[in-house]
Amino acid sequence: MSDTAATLTQDRQKLEMAALSAPAVIFTVGMIAFPVVYTIWLGFQTFSSTGKQSFAGLANYLKLISDVEFWHGLWITIALFVLSLVLQLVFGVWLALVLFNAKRLPGIVRSLFISPFMMPPVVAGMMWLVILDPSLGAANYILQSLGLPPSDWLASPTWVIPTVALIDSWQWTPYVALIVLGGLQSLPPSVYEAAQIDGASPFKTFQRITLPLLLPTIVTAAILRSVDLLRFFDIIYITTQGGPGNASNTLNIYGFRVGFEFFNIGYASALMLTLTAIVFGAVLAFNRLRGAVAW
Amino acid sequence: MNDAANTDRWIRWLNTLQLVLAGVVIMAPTVWMVLSSFKPSFEVTAYPPTMIFSPTLENYVALTKTTPFLSYALNSLIVTVGSTALGLLFGIPAAFAVSWTRISWPAILTLAARMAPGTLFLLPWYVMFRQIGMIGSYTALILSHAVITLPIVIWVLLPSFDGIPRSVFEAAQVDGCSVTRILWRIALPLVASGVAVSAILAFVFSWNYFLFALVLSNGDTKTLIAAAFNFIGEGSTQWGALMAAATLIALPPLVLAALVQRWLVSGLTLGAVKG
Repeated sequence: MSDTAATLTQDRQKLEMAALSAPAVIFTVGMIAFPVVYTIWLGFQTFSSTGKQSFAGLANYLKLISDVEFWHGLWITIALFVLSLVLQLVFGVWLALVLFNAKRLPGIVRSLFISPFMMPPVVAGMMWLVILDPSLGAANYILQSLGLPPSDWLASPTWVIPTVALIDSWQWTPYVALIVLGGLQSLPPSVYEAAQIDGASPFKTFQRITLPLLLPTIVTAAILRSVDLLRFFDIIYITTQGGPGNASNTLNIYGFRVGFEFFNIGYASALMLTLTAIVFGAVLAFNRLRGAVAW
Repeated sequence: MNDAANTDRWIRWLNTLQLVLAGVVIMAPTVWMVLSSFKPSFEVTAYPPTMIFSPTLENYVALTKTTPFLSYALNSLIVTVGSTALGLLFGIPAAFAVSWTRISWPAILTLAARMAPGTLFLLPWYVMFRQIGMIGSYTALILSHAVITLPIVIWVLLPSFDGIPRSVFEAAQVDGCSVTRILWRIALPLVASGVAVSAILAFVFSWNYFLFALVLSNGDTKTLIAAAFNFIGEGSTQWGALMAAATLIALPPLVLAALVQRWLVSGLTLGAVKG
């Protein structure tokens, strides 16, 4: 008797739990899962200029393989991803060490350090657009005062990607630094004491002890940044829209323009699914790496 | 001994120097943006750039007079508050259920939005919302931005719910409390600060989000971020107004983030790092 009562309350509880998750699950299925399935279907369709759609089989994906602009976009996406990630991880770890050695970090200092990545990327883009203006910007003035040659920054096909990487790194290096700082603070102090007793130099201590212990945290930061960097959009769209020419036409920008400027929804769907596969592939790869460096 | 103390002082001095250097690099662009927004229009584009000037509000006045800045701001507020409320409404019970049952797939499902490029959803949304005539509606914008806020709420709240001792719930269950009652009466007050942090983070990221409003809004419902594009177009030489717009758009997230800075990092990594 009491047994059935117990299972009854347990069943009731399971039902109540399902009811609590239901709104979030239904919302996510409706807004994400169903639309993604729809995108997969759209990827097999072509739309004529009159808006009539017809089944196209793999035509969109075959087009992808022979589309010069796709390969260019892929190259730009990877270049921007690698450049930004390296900059942010190197400077992020450096900044974390500096912050760690400062010990006390007043709230106001912390607020200043998080301000770049709490500000809308669009605003960061507007701000740097003015600072990096080739003829009147403050950046070139500083370069010239130091006797260095000015740059065309975002207006130069050669320099636009490094410049965008620089803007994004200005925004997100403090974020990486704060993650790594969290990792530093959770390291057991005993390992340092042991190293000090052994008379290891600060550099050796960092190279042999701190860095290996920090690797899992650094890989976590790399995952979080990769996800954003591979689908880079805001700063480029607000500053160059993929230009000059197509010099900053990342896959996400290209897919957006194919979809919403040329209204080729079918081909844009194929492009976006490919990009999504790349992002998930990168996350899986980094996850394995994190498993390999865990301690 | 004296030598060691000297090296110590040197190292500390070097560290402070690096800290100041990093601070200047981080702060200078933002300071420059704010300064430029208060410059008289002829001085904003002065070359060499000027550091000393008599501050004026003319750029801000021009902004409100020549653009519908305030109605854009109102649109941003409606979409941001709406999507944050929706995220909390769906996210709080889901986070509680995931924490209690340890069945994590609903939480992981919502993470998909954090990983896939926004355009992936935007293409089908555009087709679907157009079919039912919802392009340009606040509803479409709020729903799309809730895709951003929901995972933030769930993943920020999960560790908070996990932190409540099980015995608290078990005692309430013995007293005959239903699960729903336990959530609203017992658990929620215990994670109130977590709810506040998740709400602020959700607000910030919804406010900052660019892509969806670019396509799903129209002239009447355009958010500030989506309208930023117009400011650049109109103000290619009006840097003062452009910087005034940038300053005002950045103000709400920066002020809110400063309020909860202590808890931000663990929240931002979706629980991956305990800050």
